[in-house]
Amino acid sequence: MKILIVDDSSTMRRIIINTLSRIGYTDVVEGENGKSGLERLGQGGVEMIITDWNMPEMDGLEFVKVVRGQNPGIPILMVTTNAAKEDIVEALQAGVNNYVVKPFTPDTLKEKIESLLG
Amino acid sequence: MDQSEIDALLAAGSKSASQPVVAAAAPAPPPAPSAPVAQEPHRDPSGHVIAELDTVTAVTERESNKVMDQLDQICRLVTRQQELITGIMTHTGSQEPKVQQAIHEVMSAGKEIQDKVFEAMDLMQFQDITRQKLERILNHLRQIHDYIVDLLGTGTKSEGKRASISNTIAQTGTTPDENKAHADAVIEAFKSKGKG
Repeated sequence: MKILIVDDSSTMRRIIINTLSRIGYTDVVEGENGKSGLERLGQGGVEMIITDWNMPEMDGLEFVKVVRGQNPGIPILMVTTNAAKEDIVEALQAGVNNYVVKPFTPDTLKEKIESLLG
Repeated sequence: MDQSEIDALLAAGSKSASQPVVAAAAPAPPPAPSAPVAQEPHRDPSGHVIAELDTVTAVTERESNKVMDQLDQICRLVTRQQELITGIMTHTGSQEPKVQQAIHEVMSAGKEIQDKVFEAMDLMQFQDITRQKLERILNHLRQIHDYIVDLLGTGTKSEGKRASISNTIAQTGTTPDENKAHADAVIEAFKSKGKG
């Protein structure tokens, strides 16, 4: 299963990659904003997306909207510092399947990924 | 910023005396009395603050990645150690109960080390959260700066919109479990509303 991780923080990408490898997902590609995320997605093979919200050039919400226009079925998990109820609802309306607020525990990420793939 | 970077900046500064070496420590020298009419561009104090905070976040991210490298290295060493111990377990002499007991204790300690390293890696999330909090402060500073520029009718406005900024970061001290419970409740309510 190839997972695309889109986050402008390289530290955060490493943390997510590390957590994924501990739960058995090692096939990962990365993007540092929505724009580069779309480029990676265009290269094919991605079966799930984990994206941040606040990023330069193209933020996560815009990214999700574009992806949903092209690929209605791909599971998308948003992992972000945005914690307000309105933000979570906006992300869900844009097409996010599930939502994690930073900081998160590995168990939370595992649970959310498994629920998306289940 | 480490000593080598400070030394590099100081060296660059000595070659180009007209440029400030470190923004906060060495203000630009005043123009010479005989300076031609061409003026130095207006130096924007908020620009300095913004540039410095950008540097702080960039350096913090870089240093955080160095910490992550070290933690990765510890994990690799523990894995290597466990492979070696597994190799020892195949030797005839290692079948002694006391030796077996010792081997299991070492393996267990190695697992504990790895768990602690993973916990430390997870805690590095603070870097991204702190960065976003700084960016939010910067955004407020820019707004105040632009308001004053408008009010006084003089000065240079801050640069255009940058990365999208969170206005709703979870309060400091909110635990990951509290964050999860909050997000899950909103998701559940959203899904129920959709069904109803």
